[in-house]
Amino acid sequence: MRVLVIEDDTTTADYIAKGLHELGHVVDIARTGRDGLFLALNETFDAIIADRMLPGPDGLSILRALRASGLRTPVLIVTAMGEVEARVDGLDAGADDYLAKPFAFSELRARLDAMTRRGTETSAGEPATLKIGDLELNLLRRSVTRAGQKIELLPTELRLLEFMMRHPGQVLTRTMLLERVWDFNFDPTTNVVDVHVSRLRRKLDAAGLPMIRTLRGAGYMLSADAAA
Amino acid sequence: MLRHSFALRVAGLAAALVVVVCALGFGWGYMRVEGALLTQLDAAIASDAQDLLSDYQTEGPGGLVAGVVDATRRHGALVMLQTAQGTTIAGNIAGAPLGLRGFDTVHVPDGRDLRALGAGLPNGLSLIVAADMAPIRRSAAALTSVLPLAGVVAALAALVLGFVVARRLELRLRAVSDAASAVIAGDLTRRLPESGTGDEFDRLSGTINAVLARVESLVEGLQATTTSIAHDLRSPLFRLRQALESALARPREGEADTQTLEASLVELDSVISTFSALLRIARAEAGLRGAGFMAVDVSDLVGRVCETYAAVAEECGQSLVAEIAPGLTLRADPDLLRQMLANLIENALTHGGAAVAVRVALRQMGEGGVVLIVTDNGPGIPTAEHGRVLQRFHRLDGSRNTPGTGLGLALVAAVAKLHAARLELGDASTGLRVTVTFLATTTAG
Repeated sequence: MRVLVIEDDTTTADYIAKGLHELGHVVDIARTGRDGLFLALNETFDAIIADRMLPGPDGLSILRALRASGLRTPVLIVTAMGEVEARVDGLDAGADDYLAKPFAFSELRARLDAMTRRGTETSAGEPATLKIGDLELNLLRRSVTRAGQKIELLPTELRLLEFMMRHPGQVLTRTMLLERVWDFNFDPTTNVVDVHVSRLRRKLDAAGLPMIRTLRGAGYMLSADAAA
Repeated sequence: MLRHSFALRVAGLAAALVVVVCALGFGWGYMRVEGALLTQLDAAIASDAQDLLSDYQTEGPGGLVAGVVDATRRHGALVMLQTAQGTTIAGNIAGAPLGLRGFDTVHVPDGRDLRALGAGLPNGLSLIVAADMAPIRRSAAALTSVLPLAGVVAALAALVLGFVVARRLELRLRAVSDAASAVIAGDLTRRLPESGTGDEFDRLSGTINAVLARVESLVEGLQATTTSIAHDLRSPLFRLRQALESALARPREGEADTQTLEASLVELDSVISTFSALLRIARAEAGLRGAGFMAVDVSDLVGRVCETYAAVAEECGQSLVAEIAPGLTLRADPDLLRQMLANLIENALTHGGAAVAVRVALRQMGEGGVVLIVTDNGPGIPTAEHGRVLQRFHRLDGSRNTPGTGLGLALVAAVAKLHAARLELGDASTGLRVTVTFLATTTAG
């Protein structure tokens, strides 16, 4: 994957670039908004990671310019402004995701993955049923079956499963789950995510092989066979 | 001076206006009075002429001449009988115009203006009856001359009154300006004087005082935040520094270094989360209402949060029961509301003990108000501490070793304040009862 990183802080830019290199991605770095916009418009990237505050045009201006010129490359806005309003502004401007500094690299990686894969998934249209292996979620009837057997889930568990099934085989961090499933834009002191994931896991696994894998220090992943 | 004094400008304008109005009034009054007197004069002249003409009809030309001569002897009467060629037969109007028919104002050689009525007689004679206009002009002037005098007096009065009123305005405005200057200079406690009459100025002063009070509380909040950051973020950062420094001082050793680095990351993450919590509190306290405010289905919101934490409680052998009235709405910041409730529930779960039972109730309260009650059966908070636990970083002695930043209830207090809700800590039969009352004004329509 070729990724453009627009970031004026050298340490942060190198940190991101190094991590992405290790994952086998090709990384281009732009230090100013001008260079970033120029590169984004003239070369082809699979994803763009842009700092919100930049010399020259800022991250949101770049984003608007890209979207105005019809470019649909997934963009992740990274910022020191973690407030909810700032996040909403970013998403309104056409960002695919928004990440507050400071962040763990695993968080950035998970979001980048979710973002780039979502790009290919949404173009296929919205299915009425989500299906992973023998697990099926009917979005209209809000019902779940595994190998034909009905599984009773609480509303929160259902929302959690839906989100995970929309991102199969991807690492989903606790923060991502809190934001998307619970609308919690803060860190709870209790282990909210772990409790619900383990309850969901118990209900799913009762009817077959384990599907949810815990990745230590990173998050969770749903796949047809977690052991594989 | 005139340009810079509102008082003088207003007074001058008022006086000028009075003078102009009086001048116009004088002119108009004079014309009306003169017109009325002239009508009377015309009637008198016509009556005299009628008398002479009836002399002529009853007694012939001789009688008329006698009548004219008789009339000229009366004081002030002006009569003239002349031939078509202008030869005077009898009368006392020197330079009377020839062939005058009907009313006209004539100027005679001796300088007087006369009002004259001319009539033609069958044998070519002309009869003119006239009166001097000077008396009616004098009367008109006398009757209206009071107006310019009144105008001058009124102009002076307007000048004085305008000056006094505008001067008072200026003084009160100066009080506002002085107070504002004092605030700019740094005295945030300064307020505008209010006279207590409740007039426009008092209302303005009241509004400005409310603005100043708001500014003061914002600055205080900022100072409190800064102090808390300095005070409470320093210790974990200092611990972190010590750990890293001592790790650097000892010889490199894979396992121990990894442990130090991992421990440092954990410590650092807690600093970051404290920092975020402080920022959120500061934002809620700054009270930027409206930014994230919207109509919120609060029954649904509370229901979801309770369902989330019921599972968490159950996993630890604790319990959470929710009683939620359906369909309640509020105008609120849903994000902060969610965190407020999460903090209250987590507070109860964390400090309530191993088997704590938490109850969350959401009810309608009066006309459109909503009340949220979180009760637990844990150890509770001593009444004396109720005020202090709402402050940043205040923790009860017994809770120092439980997880938490000491910011949970401070955020609850800030969110309640932002929503103009009343927050009360009370004692349940055992444990703590927190009541948040959202007033009707904050509910969505």
